[in-house]
Amino acid sequence: MEGQGEHEEDEERRHLGGSGLILRRDAAGSGGGGGGGGDSDRSSQQWPTVDGPLGLSEEESVAYARRFFLWGFALLPLLWAVNCFYFWPVLRSRPSSSPSSFSRIRPYVLRSAIGFLVFAVLLSSWALTFVIGGEQLFGPVWQDLVMYNLADKLGLTGWV
Amino acid sequence: MAQDPDSTPSLLDSLGEEIIRIVAPVSACMLLVVLLVSTLSSSSSSPSPLSSLIATAYSDPSSSSSIWDKLSGALLSSLVFVASVTLITFLLVLLFYFRCTRFLKSYMAFSSFVVLAFLGGEVILLLVTHFDFPIDAITFSLLLLNFSVVGVMSVFMAKMPISINQGYLVIIGVLVAYWFTLLPEWTTWALLVTMALYDLAAVLLPGGPLRLLVELAISRDEEIPALVYEARPVEPLPGARRRLWRERRDFGTNSGSNSNPSSLGYMFRQTDERRDFGTNSSLNSNNSMTGEVLPETRLVISEQESAGDSSVSELRAPLLQTQLDSHGEQEIEGIGLGSSGAIKLGLGDFIFYSVLVGRAALYDFMTVYACYLAIIAGLGITLLLLAFYRKALPALPVSIMLGVLFYLLTRVLLEVFVVQCSTNLLMF
Repeated sequence: MEGQGEHEEDEERRHLGGSGLILRRDAAGSGGGGGGGGDSDRSSQQWPTVDGPLGLSEEESVAYARRFFLWGFALLPLLWAVNCFYFWPVLRSRPSSSPSSFSRIRPYVLRSAIGFLVFAVLLSSWALTFVIGGEQLFGPVWQDLVMYNLADKLGLTGWV
Repeated sequence: MAQDPDSTPSLLDSLGEEIIRIVAPVSACMLLVVLLVSTLSSSSSSPSPLSSLIATAYSDPSSSSSIWDKLSGALLSSLVFVASVTLITFLLVLLFYFRCTRFLKSYMAFSSFVVLAFLGGEVILLLVTHFDFPIDAITFSLLLLNFSVVGVMSVFMAKMPISINQGYLVIIGVLVAYWFTLLPEWTTWALLVTMALYDLAAVLLPGGPLRLLVELAISRDEEIPALVYEARPVEPLPGARRRLWRERRDFGTNSGSNSNPSSLGYMFRQTDERRDFGTNSSLNSNNSMTGEVLPETRLVISEQESAGDSSVSELRAPLLQTQLDSHGEQEIEGIGLGSSGAIKLGLGDFIFYSVLVGRAALYDFMTVYACYLAIIAGLGITLLLLAFYRKALPALPVSIMLGVLFYLLTRVLLEVFVVQCSTNLLMF
C-alpha cells in the first residue's frame, strides 16, 4: 500500500511537474539518496539519477538510459557521457546492494561509459597527433586542415 | 541540505539560498560575456557587418557629428526592434491560444540549435583564431555537433540532469548577449531602455501580450514552451513561516480548510512567459539568422492565487485529496515558500543584463563593477517585489534603469574622481 501511494505521488508529481509545479514529497518518505533512518523502505529509497528526488523515476530511467545509449551511436559520444553522469548513483552502487531496478539500468550505463572512454581515447589521440605532429608529420595538408586557416579561407567568421 | 541536528536552519538560510541560486547563474552569464567581450574586442579592429549595416541604414556611424543624429538613429532602430518584438509576441499568444504547441516547441528547438551551432561555432572560431589554437577541422566539427545536439536535447526534448540544463541555458544566454554587444553603442543603450519600457508595458498593462500569455497559461494550466531558467527548489523550513503563507492563501481561495496542496503549491510557482526577440531582418540582412526568432522569456513571475483560480484548483482537488487524507496534516505542512516550485527567471533577462554589462565592459572595467552591482541590486528589488505582490512581474525595468543610471554616473563622475586619486597616489 505504501509503495502504491508512493507511485501515485510519483504520478502526481509527473502530472504537475509538467506544469512547473514541484510538490515536495512527504517528509518521512523522501529518501534523497541519503535519507534518515527509518524502517519503511521508502526512507531508504535510492534514486537512480543524480538529481535525486527531482529526477526521473525508475521506470522512466530505464527508457532514458536506453535512449541515450542508442542515440549515442549517431556520432554523439557526449550523450554517453551525459548518460554516465546522469545515472551516476547506478554506476556507483555495487550490484549486490542495489535495488532491482538498477540492474536494468546498469548495462546501458556501463556500455555508455565504455563507449565514451573508447571514443575519448581515439579522439584525443587523433587531436594530439595533429597538434604535436604539426607540419613535420602531415606535410602541407596540416595547413589545410587546421581550423583557423579553414575559417579564414571559407570566411566563416565574417558573419558576425 | 545538510545541517547538524543542533541548529535549525533560519529564514536567512533558505531565503538566502534561493536568492543565491538565481543570482549565481546571472553572475556567471555576465562574467562570461565580459570575458568574451574583453578578449574578442581587442582582436577585431574593423567594424562588423552588423554594425556597419545599422550605421548606414539608420545613420548612426561612429564618426557622426552631432549627438542628436546619433540619438535619433539609435532610437529609430530600437523602436523598430521593439515593434517587431511586440508583433512576434502577439503572434505567439495567438499560436498558444490555438494550441499549436508542437509547432512552437519544434520551432524553439530549431532556434536553439541555430544559436548553439552557428553562433556558438562562430564564437569558438573567433576564440580559436584569437589564441591560434591548432585544432583541426574534424575534431572541431565533431565537438561542435555534439555540443549543439546535446544542448538542444537538454533544453527542449529530453529530461537531462538539471545542472546540464542550467549550464546550456546560461551558454545560450551568453552567446545571444555577445551577439547583441556587437551593435553600435548608442543603439545598444537605446535598445536596452526601450526593451525595459516594453517589458514594463507588456507585463503590467491589461492588454499586454505577455500578460495575456500568462493568463492563458494559468487558465489552461499548461506550461508555455519557453526558454526559462529554473533554479533548484530549496528544502522548505519547518516552522511557522509556512503557516503564514497558508493563511494568506486561504483568503484567496474559497475552499477554506479544503485548501489542497495544489493551490498551496502554487504559492511560489512561477510560470514562464515567452517573448520573442527576433533578429530583425532590416537590421541584418547579411546575417545567416535573418528572420530567425528566438522565443525567450524575460520575466520573473509568481502565480497569484486569486479567487478566479479557485475553480481551477478545485478541479485539482480530487486528484490530491487522496494524498491529503492518507498523509494528513504533514502534507500541507510540507508545502511552503521554497518547496513548491522554484524561482524562474526568463532567459531574455539573462541576455539583457549581460548585454548591459558587456557594453559597459567595452568602455572600462570600472563601469563593469558599477553596472554589475546595480543589476544585482535591481534583481534583488524585483525578487522582493515578487514576494510582496505575488504576481507576474517584469524583471528588466528596475535592473536596466539602475544599470544605465550607474553607467552614466560612473562614466561622468566616478571615473574622473578615481583617476585623479590614483594619479596623485591618494587611493586605489
